[in-house]
Amino acid sequence: MVFSYNWLQEYFEGKLPKSEKLAELLTMHAFEVENIEKQGKDYILDIAVLPNRAHDCLNHVGIAREIAAITKRRLVLQKTKEPAEVRGTLKPLNVVIKNSELVPRYAALVIEGANIVKSPKWLKEKLEAVGINSINTIVDITNYVMLELGQPLHAFDYDKIHGQVMMIRASKEGEHIQTLDDQTLSLPKGTLVIEDVQGLIDLAGIKGGKGSGISPKTKNIILQAANFDGPTIYKTKKQLGYTTQAADIYSHGIDPNLGMEALERALELLYETKAKGKVVQIIDIYPKKVVPRQVRLDLTYVQSLLGMQIPVKEIQQVLQTLGCKVGLSTKKSQVLLVTVPTRRLDLEIPEDLVEEVGRIHGYEKIPTALPTVSLTPPEQNLDLFWEDIIKAALKQSGFTEAYNYSFIGEKDLSKFVYSDQDRAKLVKLQNPVSEEFSYLRNSLLENLLKNIAANQRRFENVRIFELGTIFQQTDKGIEEATMLGGVITTTAEGSFYDAKGVIDFIVNQLGIPEVWYDEYEPTPERSRQILWQTTKCAEIKIGDQEIGFLGEISNQMTSHLKITQKVTAFHIDVEKLAQLATEEKEYLPPSKYPSVVRDIAVLVPRDVRVGDVLDKINEAEKMLVADVDLFDMYEGEEIPDGKKNLAFHIVYQSKEKTLTNREVDALHDKIIKILETDPGWEVRK
Amino acid sequence: MGFSVVEGPELESEWYNFDALNIPANHPARDMWDTFWIKDPKGIQNTKYKIQKLLLRTHTSPVQIRYMESHNPPLRIIAPGRIFRYEATDATHEINFYQLEGLMIGKDVSTRSFKGVIQEFYQRFFGKPVHIRLRPSYFPFTEPSFEVDMSCVLCDGKGFTLSEGSELKGCASCGQDGWLEMMGAGMVHPNVFKAVGYVPGEWQGFAFGMGLDRLAMMKYKINDIRLLYSGDLRFLQQF
Repeated sequence: MVFSYNWLQEYFEGKLPKSEKLAELLTMHAFEVENIEKQGKDYILDIAVLPNRAHDCLNHVGIAREIAAITKRRLVLQKTKEPAEVRGTLKPLNVVIKNSELVPRYAALVIEGANIVKSPKWLKEKLEAVGINSINTIVDITNYVMLELGQPLHAFDYDKIHGQVMMIRASKEGEHIQTLDDQTLSLPKGTLVIEDVQGLIDLAGIKGGKGSGISPKTKNIILQAANFDGPTIYKTKKQLGYTTQAADIYSHGIDPNLGMEALERALELLYETKAKGKVVQIIDIYPKKVVPRQVRLDLTYVQSLLGMQIPVKEIQQVLQTLGCKVGLSTKKSQVLLVTVPTRRLDLEIPEDLVEEVGRIHGYEKIPTALPTVSLTPPEQNLDLFWEDIIKAALKQSGFTEAYNYSFIGEKDLSKFVYSDQDRAKLVKLQNPVSEEFSYLRNSLLENLLKNIAANQRRFENVRIFELGTIFQQTDKGIEEATMLGGVITTTAEGSFYDAKGVIDFIVNQLGIPEVWYDEYEPTPERSRQILWQTTKCAEIKIGDQEIGFLGEISNQMTSHLKITQKVTAFHIDVEKLAQLATEEKEYLPPSKYPSVVRDIAVLVPRDVRVGDVLDKINEAEKMLVADVDLFDMYEGEEIPDGKKNLAFHIVYQSKEKTLTNREVDALHDKIIKILETDPGWEVRK
Repeated sequence: MGFSVVEGPELESEWYNFDALNIPANHPARDMWDTFWIKDPKGIQNTKYKIQKLLLRTHTSPVQIRYMESHNPPLRIIAPGRIFRYEATDATHEINFYQLEGLMIGKDVSTRSFKGVIQEFYQRFFGKPVHIRLRPSYFPFTEPSFEVDMSCVLCDGKGFTLSEGSELKGCASCGQDGWLEMMGAGMVHPNVFKAVGYVPGEWQGFAFGMGLDRLAMMKYKINDIRLLYSGDLRFLQQF
């Protein structure tokens, strides 16, 4: 908000620091001054008042108070006039508040015989300095008081209020109002409005209605200083997409005690500007008077939170110049009882007061020192540990890492041929920035393919990967998963095998001994079938778990995307990979004695899980079998229907001696016998 | 300095992203974060607040909440991660980017400790002595709240640099001010401790948040944040 330097100067007897110095002081102790502009003989400061101080500092007196506290000066407030009712000819105005929970206070003065004249020069200039146009004395005074004290005022033409009744209530859905600036708004349910016997006359707290505003013909006015429920005004502002300076102030909530103060100031100005009139009615509906709050401030806590000691006198002075009353607790000498002025809605807990003391005293006075802590090493984050290994392996294999957007859009969906079924799995945004970013990606491949298409003019052999998050809508809810996506383009043949090599390398670096590629009827779990060239792809498996998919991108897709080269890609579930890496890395003391590896192939019914076979082997021999790894699973030709062939490496090793061939044979036979106890299982010889 | 690295989901519930951080609904404070909301979500797996609205996290603070819920202090963690803001993109603004937040809770962790930790961090990161200063700020989840400025690494806080011809020219990096705005921070608000179930008055500590993209851009002198998400190999292959 913009503030006039000359206006601020009016609240002080001595000269204020120069505008630049003042700006620096405000920035370091209160709010950032974003800009200073010279305007004639004045300086205009653009001050970024913090959101939690909008209620008391979006006005000149509020900022002046801050300056007073920071520079340890005295504030000089302007004159006010206390209203006294005199007899007049007007019928009394009847104000009825239907939703009192939304209107903490309604104060107003009915003024008979006000002159609607042009504003004096000083008033016009002050308003124009901060960007407000002068209209007439009455309207100008309402704006002036708002800019000075932070209490929005509104002036109604008394004679235009039909039936001399003003009912303040929440609107029903769909009610209409025409505002002073000629807008017709359709109101959502729950909007605060003011109504006379004929209809809506005011969008409370936001903008006056067209029918009830001040005009040059106005003779009698109602000067309103109301306090409205902040969240309600905020909600209305958002719903209508329409706001005013008054609404911005009201949305944060303001001190109800400001109401009469503002009217007294306005009345003084009415007389100074010769608009005059006489007060014939004072309205003040203020059922629950807000009283100053008391906060206990423990001096040891101030020291503890800031990390330095500030003398009690200093703390007291800071709080007092901000308007607080400070007393010592009788029971505990280290505790202050601070009575907070009602105009500071933001001072509620001791921490709020610590902030006041800290900032006014100056954060630069707090020393810098490392904390003393126990020498506990940080917890290792295994996920990041594995991810770093994966990325290093890819880098070593000549890949460049990309960070792509988490979003995809309509054009992408048609470009990549998403079916209706595919679309149903996508997570959609309620408020995307554009159509091109309206969904969350459920695979990393599409963006990587876009990377290739974009770069292919300049780069021939490209290897790019991304390790990132994908999102999928399932029946059970939205699933978030970390995936590794990679693409390789090459002018030569054989990138499919290169890709296998890269994955072997990654898996090896993670300490997982065996990965294999299931090329029998491969179906990708995460990515869409349509991307892949069916004859050249495989499920990536560790044990019997599918951890990812690998293959050539279909020629149809690459030509559709105008990619000139063949592309091989892989898409791997990082969480599954990380879990297997963690399980694998259990520390066992290695044996001094050599191991012997024997292969075994067993034909089992198709529904038998690899785990079942591993369990059986375990059952047969646990001690002398160091490891069992699946290295092939085969179904199809040469295998009887309904069956599949599983091949394992069995690593025999003893911790106590070197096993002889005969001993190993005996162990191996034992395992074969146990495996064949199930009649459907057959060990192939 | 012994901070553990913690991660969390990118798609979050309103409670973890806002309410637990003392940012209630229908409050102007929410305007500080322009949010992407999820359309008609059918719940998230693994969250205890199923009725909540879902969004893309606007900061990595929810990760800290989740950690505090499941760990007792004293603790010190950093939470890096991708975050999302509903913004118009330009050279310094993006819709997805990276943040690093930090949290340290103990019996007497103070503003002084924070200054110490953060100065040490910047000195090690930039490899030269730096000064930091705190200015008043506002975040619903900290009280007091600060903006942290660091002395400009290009001109060493002087506000000007010497060009090849030994001429003084205004520092391009800090706008001749000598100071760079680096991050927001503050002492954790008691309502946050309440939300995660700590005993009120028992613990205190600081939290901070900085943009990693910006830090990278400063260190490597990259002038447009959108380059980081462009997939352009001419840019990526330089790293």
